[in-house]
Amino acid sequence: MDWWSPARVWRSRVYRYRLIAGRCKSCGRAHYPPANACPYCGSRGLDNVELPRVGRILSYSIVYTTPFEDKDKSPVILGLIDLGVTRLVAEIVDVKPEDVKMGDRVEAVFRRISVDGGTGLIVYGIKFRPVRMG
Amino acid sequence: MVLTPERGAGVHGWGVYIPRFRISMQEIAREWGWPDHQWRALGMIEKAVAGPDEDSTTMGLEASLNAIRRSGVNPADIGAVFFGTESKPYAVKPSATVIAEAVGATPLTMASDLEFACRAASEGVKASIGLVASGMVKYALVIGSDTAQANPGDVLEFTASSGAAAFVIGPSKGSAAVFEGSSTYVTDTPDFWRREGSRYPRHGEGFTGEPAYFAHIIGAVRDLMEKLGLKPSDFNYAIFHQPNGKFPLKVGEMLGFKPDQLKLGLVTPFIGNTYNGSALIGLARVLDYARPGERVLVAPFGSGAGSDAYSLLVTDVVEERRDKAPTVDYYINDKIVISYSIYAKYRELIHVIRE
Amino acid sequence: MVYITGVGLVNVDRHYDKSVRKLAFEASVAALDSSMAESIDFIVVASSLSYLQEPQLDLASYIASSMGLRGVRSIAVESGEASGLAAVMTAKSLVDSGLASRVLVVGVDKLSDHPSWRVYRNLSMLYDSESDAFYSIGLGGVAGLLMRLYMDVYKVDRQTLAYWPALMHSNAKANPYAMLRFAITPEKVLEAPPVAEPLTLLDTFPLGDGAAAIVVEGRAGGGAIAEIVAVESSTGFQSIALSDDPLKIESLETAYRRLVERVDVKDVDVVELHDSFTITGILELETLRLAERGKAAEAVAQGNFSIGGEGPVVNPSGGLKARGHPIGATGVYQVAEIALQLSGEFPGLRVEGARGGLAVAVNAMGSSSYVAYLKAVR
Repeated sequence: MDWWSPARVWRSRVYRYRLIAGRCKSCGRAHYPPANACPYCGSRGLDNVELPRVGRILSYSIVYTTPFEDKDKSPVILGLIDLGVTRLVAEIVDVKPEDVKMGDRVEAVFRRISVDGGTGLIVYGIKFRPVRMG
Repeated sequence: MVLTPERGAGVHGWGVYIPRFRISMQEIAREWGWPDHQWRALGMIEKAVAGPDEDSTTMGLEASLNAIRRSGVNPADIGAVFFGTESKPYAVKPSATVIAEAVGATPLTMASDLEFACRAASEGVKASIGLVASGMVKYALVIGSDTAQANPGDVLEFTASSGAAAFVIGPSKGSAAVFEGSSTYVTDTPDFWRREGSRYPRHGEGFTGEPAYFAHIIGAVRDLMEKLGLKPSDFNYAIFHQPNGKFPLKVGEMLGFKPDQLKLGLVTPFIGNTYNGSALIGLARVLDYARPGERVLVAPFGSGAGSDAYSLLVTDVVEERRDKAPTVDYYINDKIVISYSIYAKYRELIHVIRE
Repeated sequence: MVYITGVGLVNVDRHYDKSVRKLAFEASVAALDSSMAESIDFIVVASSLSYLQEPQLDLASYIASSMGLRGVRSIAVESGEASGLAAVMTAKSLVDSGLASRVLVVGVDKLSDHPSWRVYRNLSMLYDSESDAFYSIGLGGVAGLLMRLYMDVYKVDRQTLAYWPALMHSNAKANPYAMLRFAITPEKVLEAPPVAEPLTLLDTFPLGDGAAAIVVEGRAGGGAIAEIVAVESSTGFQSIALSDDPLKIESLETAYRRLVERVDVKDVDVVELHDSFTITGILELETLRLAERGKAAEAVAQGNFSIGGEGPVVNPSGGLKARGHPIGATGVYQVAEIALQLSGEFPGLRVEGARGGLAVAVNAMGSSSYVAYLKAVR
C-alpha cells in the first residue's frame, strides 16, 4: 500500500537501528528520536548519544484497537520505557500480556516495525522485551 | 609441509540468537495426524519459532551484536559482512546491508547475502578466512540465520525452525579459536530445493541422507583430517550440520567419533534445525564451554549439495570472551511454549489478504 | 469584541448517507439561518481526517463552493483534535484584525465511512509519527499508558476512574446532538471490552460523524449569543515520553496561564473539556486546577462537576465520550455548546444562569492545547 517511502525509511535508519538519541550540548538532556533542536531548552547545539539498551517499564497498555496490518501481533503491548537518560514509547514483545509487570526490566531488540503490504518495504527498528534471566 | 593459510585467521567473537517461542513435537504431530514415532525417530523435543515481527535479518542482527560484544572489536573495523540464509526477507535487496548498518560497520565494508541452502554462512566463514588471512580485511562478520520454511504437514515441519549464529573472524592473534585448516566438498546433488516464488521447499526424503548429507560431510571431514594428519580422537568436539537429532550422531559414528565428542554441539533436539544457524549454533555452544588448547571440528552441510569441514584450536582468550554476551544455553532455556495455531500465525502459514 | 451570532449543529451519528460536504453544509446553513446573516466574508474550515480519508486537499474552498458561497474567502485549519478551537481562534483573529467582519467557522469530520481498523490507523497519526506513532499505538494506546501510570502514581483504582464516563453518559441523555444518549453505570465501564488496557470501550469516544458551525462577527447587534473573550494555545512535547511529568498536560497548563494573564477569566460556570479518553478528561481537570493532582477521579465520583455539585459544570453536552468526537469538528461543537449555555438556549442539560464558560481542546496527549473563554452577553 506504499505507506512508507524509501527515502523516509533510509533517512532514519541509523538512529532507528542503533537507538541513537539527540543530546543537548547546552542543557545536557537527551531525547529520542533526535530532533533539530533540544525539546527542553531549544538549543540547536546537539550531538548524538547511543541509548542504553536496558531499561524499565514505567507503564504499559494492552492495545486491541490496532490497524489490520498489525493484527498478527494483537494485542500489542505498548510500553513507556525508562532508559535513565530519557524515556520512549515503544512496543514490548516476546511476552504474554498477563506476564507484563510495572517496573520490569526490558532489553532492546531489533525487530520489524512495519511490513508495507505484500510488496512494499520492511521497516526495521527497536522494540523491547522483558529480560528473563541473568 | 601442508600449506594452511587458515592459521592466519581465528574467531574473535561468537554469538547466537534463538527466538523465545517454542512448539513441541507432540503439538505438530497432533495437528497433522502423525504417529509419535515420526518425531521420536528424529531425536527431537521442541523447535524454536520466530515471533511475528522477526525474520532472518532481525535474528541475524541480534546474533551479530552478541558476537561483536564478545570480540570487543570496533564495528568500523569490520571489512566484510556475509549473511547466509535461505529465508531472505527480500528476494531482491541485501539483508547484509541492514545488519552492517545496524552494527555500525558501514560504509567502508563488503556486504553480501550468500545462498547455498544451509551452508551459505559456512561459505562466508571460508571467504572470511581468506580475506582476513590475506590481509584484505581486518575483521569479517559472518551470520547464519534462518526462519526455516517447511510445507505444513511435511515431515520437515518437525525440524524447520528459527535461529541465528554470528562470528567475528579476524587475525589469529588475539582470537578465541584459531582455524587450523578447512576442506570443502561440493557436487550437484538435488536433495532439497525451493524454486523461485515457491513458499516451501521440496526434498527427496531418503535421498537427502546417504548421497547428500552423509556423502558430503564425510567427504569434507575425511579430506580435512587427511590434510592435517588428524584422526577423530584428536578432536575434543565434533559438530555436524544437524537437520534433526539423529543424522549428526550417525555421521559422527560413521567417521569414528564418540558420542561424547558430539553431545555438546548438538542443539537441534532443543531448538530444531535452524538451517544456516544449525552447526554454527552448535559451534557457538562448544565455544561457550571449551577450554584453551582443545580442538574442535565443525562441518556444516548445505543441500544441493556441499559440506565444509573446519578444524579450530581454542586459545586462552576464550575464557575472557565467554561472559561478554548471553550463551547458547541462555537462549535455549529462555522460552515460551506456543500452540500450533499461534505458530501458524507467527510463521504466516495462514492465508491473510493485505492491502 | 468578537461575538457568536449563530450556531448550527448536526447530531453526531453514523451518517452513512451524508458526505463531509453535506454535513458541513447542514451545520453551516443552520448557523447562518440562526444568525440571520445576509453574507459572510470568510469561511474557516476545521477538519482533520478528511485529508486522509476523503481524501481531499484545499478542503475549505471545496466546501465553500459546494455551499454556493461563490467567491468567498476561505482557509482551512488543521490541528488534529484541536482543529475546531484552532479554527475559532483563527476566525476571532480575522475579525479582531479587521480582515473580516463576519466569519463562518465550520468543523467537520467523518469516522464511520471507513472500516474501524483503518480509522484507528488514521487516528494514530494524531500522535507523532516520528516517535509514538512509529509503533502500533492503535486507538488509545498512549492514553492507556497514562491511565495505568495515573493509577500507579496516585494509587487510584480502576473503579474510581469509571465515574467519569458514567457522568458523561448521564449528561448526554438530554442532548439531542449527542451520539450516545443512554445512561451507564461505572460497573458497565469495567465490564466493557478492553480497548487499550486499562482503558475499555466505555472510556473512549464513539466513532461518529458530525459537523458544527458558528457565525462570528465583530458587532454585537441584537443577535449575539455569547462573546468570545479570548482563545489561547500552546504547543507541547511530541511525546509523553519526553515529559518529566506526563500526568500534567503542559501545553494546556501554558495555554490556560496565557489566557488568565491576558484576560480576566471569572465566573466560569460551565466547561467543555476534551475527554477523548477518561484519563484525558481527568488530567485536564487537574491541569486546570479544577481538582487537586490525583484527586480528580475521586471528585467526579463524589458528584463534583455535575449540576448542583461542587465546581463548574463540566461537559453538560456529554463530552467527547458521549456527545461524540468528530475530530476536527469537536472544538466547534464545544464553543457552540458553551455559547448556547451562556444564552440559556442549550437544548440539553442546561447550566442555568451560566455567566462564563471554557472550551478546552487537546491534540493527542498534549502536542497542542487550546482554551477558549466565552462570556454571556445577557
